[in-house]
Amino acid sequence: MMTISKTSLDNTTFATSAYGEEWAGPDGDRLTIALQLLKSEPASTVQIDSFIESLEYTPSTPVSSIIESTTDWKVDSNGQYHLVASPSSFIVALGKDDTISQWPTLPLRKAIEEGKKVAIEEAWRNEISGVSQGAYVSQSQHVLAMPSRLGLHAQEDDSGIVWPPRQLNAEGERIPPVSNKLDNSASILTWTRLSAAGAPSEFSLRAPLLGGVSTVLVEFISGPKGVFMLTDDEDGQPSIGQEVSFEVRRLYGQDEFIHYGLKALLI
Amino acid sequence: MVDVAMVGAGQTKFGNHPLGLKGMWSEAIEKAFSSVDNDCLPSMVDEAFIGSIAFGGSQLGNTAALLTEHSGMDGVSVRRVENACASSGFALRDAWMTIKSGQADIVVAGGIEKMNDLSAERKRYWLGVSGDTEWERLAGLTFPGTYALTARRYFHEFESTHDDLVHVSVKNHMHGFDNEMAHLRKDVSFEKASSGAMVADPLTLYDCCPTSDGASAVILVADHLAHQFTDTPIWVKGSGAGSDKLALHDRPSLTQLRATQLASQKAYSIANVQPNQIDLAEVHDCFTIAEVLATEDLGFAGRGQGGLYARNGEGRRNEGDVTINASGGLKSKGHPLGATGTGQAVEVFKQLRHQVEAPRQVRDAELGLTHNVGGSGATCAVHIFGRER
Repeated sequence: MMTISKTSLDNTTFATSAYGEEWAGPDGDRLTIALQLLKSEPASTVQIDSFIESLEYTPSTPVSSIIESTTDWKVDSNGQYHLVASPSSFIVALGKDDTISQWPTLPLRKAIEEGKKVAIEEAWRNEISGVSQGAYVSQSQHVLAMPSRLGLHAQEDDSGIVWPPRQLNAEGERIPPVSNKLDNSASILTWTRLSAAGAPSEFSLRAPLLGGVSTVLVEFISGPKGVFMLTDDEDGQPSIGQEVSFEVRRLYGQDEFIHYGLKALLI
Repeated sequence: MVDVAMVGAGQTKFGNHPLGLKGMWSEAIEKAFSSVDNDCLPSMVDEAFIGSIAFGGSQLGNTAALLTEHSGMDGVSVRRVENACASSGFALRDAWMTIKSGQADIVVAGGIEKMNDLSAERKRYWLGVSGDTEWERLAGLTFPGTYALTARRYFHEFESTHDDLVHVSVKNHMHGFDNEMAHLRKDVSFEKASSGAMVADPLTLYDCCPTSDGASAVILVADHLAHQFTDTPIWVKGSGAGSDKLALHDRPSLTQLRATQLASQKAYSIANVQPNQIDLAEVHDCFTIAEVLATEDLGFAGRGQGGLYARNGEGRRNEGDVTINASGGLKSKGHPLGATGTGQAVEVFKQLRHQVEAPRQVRDAELGLTHNVGGSGATCAVHIFGRER
């Protein structure tokens, strides 16, 4: 399931979010569009220097690591492809040239009231300037777990597939490093929708604008379970047994950085 | 081995308390020591264990030393015990073990939390610090959310609906209505509890305990001192504790608390008591679904029967085999995180000494149990108390 819109022109592939070229959505940006675009194309090597400059906020980990954790692409300063973002719209291009002579018009599949869009963007601006009160994930842990958090990379142990990552198993023995990857879909075991007042403080600015936040606890076919926030669920309510897929989106902003993670989409 | 007796117990009223940490703790200590029948002074204490998560960051370091300094225990060996909402349940267990081991004769176990003089934003931040931060909090979960996931799964696995949770809420509000120490003294009808504002679907406001200020303390002594202080000591017959994976998604079952099962099995075994012998149980009903699970995990109801148990009104005061949350539980009495566990022990102490004002007294109460859970079940302490040694 792909949530971006794509079109090709002169050997370059262009993509936007479902909200069209004017906006990347409530939890999207040029990077989340780029990740979907890269995942939808055969993997190769890519240059990203100019793309990084187009990002509105600084990610909490290097963009190259986010791309390589999420996709099979390798970031290379001499890469075969160039990732480029329009400076004036939310269109991302993947092609052999680093300059785009003409940006296409891409369809808008979802509309949002202008006032709400402005309010959400304002909430992100305020959220990212906030300082962690302490319930943060240490940067070292954040970096170490990134392939698992963004790419569902898993470990394998005598007891089966292990995800999220652990150092020692239930017997206190060291688990080998990542050797596996979970499917990009899972089944809902249970779910909830938290009211804005019931959502964690990290989401306190955006939750009222979104009418709360929905979270699902899912089981992957290979065994592990995980908790994910739902995204793009305006028109649907989850149910136990329903399948979801995953996509990288913005999770939260803190201490001047944007943190990215997987969110679940109802299939 | 030394037996352990509880000879005094006291607490502040739970709720929006006008005093700060030092004032609330002093009040709880005064009440605990004045409840001892014969002279007993804070200066006689050998060791103290004080449960608190230091909500809001208030005196986050060396909390316990500050409190003993201000309550006549200056110089005592003291430490803060932190296991989220089970902090003072574990403080009680540490105190029990200290006397059991022969290292001390007179030990105070208590707890404290000041939760209601913070901004809404700061309060919300602190309410989520005891869950799994990396994989659950940042996926949108708070404790209402975690227990909501559990409730929905419970309804899916068993013949149970939200109405069963409403029965828990109505019962605990009914019990707490008569408790002058309770935070929410409201008699809540089934209709009202059925139509609460949604907090975390399917849990409504009436499924959630309040955030309370409060302090509580109990005085434990070695057996050879028990009758020096009172003719009616309450014996701590068994103590058990357990833990489980912090994140809900890492647990094999979403509808059982393994930490409760482990803790209660140990406590029952040490006390040589069966669940059907317990007369009253103060269980950790931070959310109504938690009481449903507790009735199963503590052995009062069969697996998957907790909803039916609540529906049938089995835990009501003096109606079933065991009265559950005679105090009103966390739902009505309140939940000042660190003070909750020893607050449960205060209620059991008074109930077993038959000193509770009518109509709250559980008839012929001989054996009581406290069940204190940390977070969504990562930690749990269970204690069994009796009038007989």
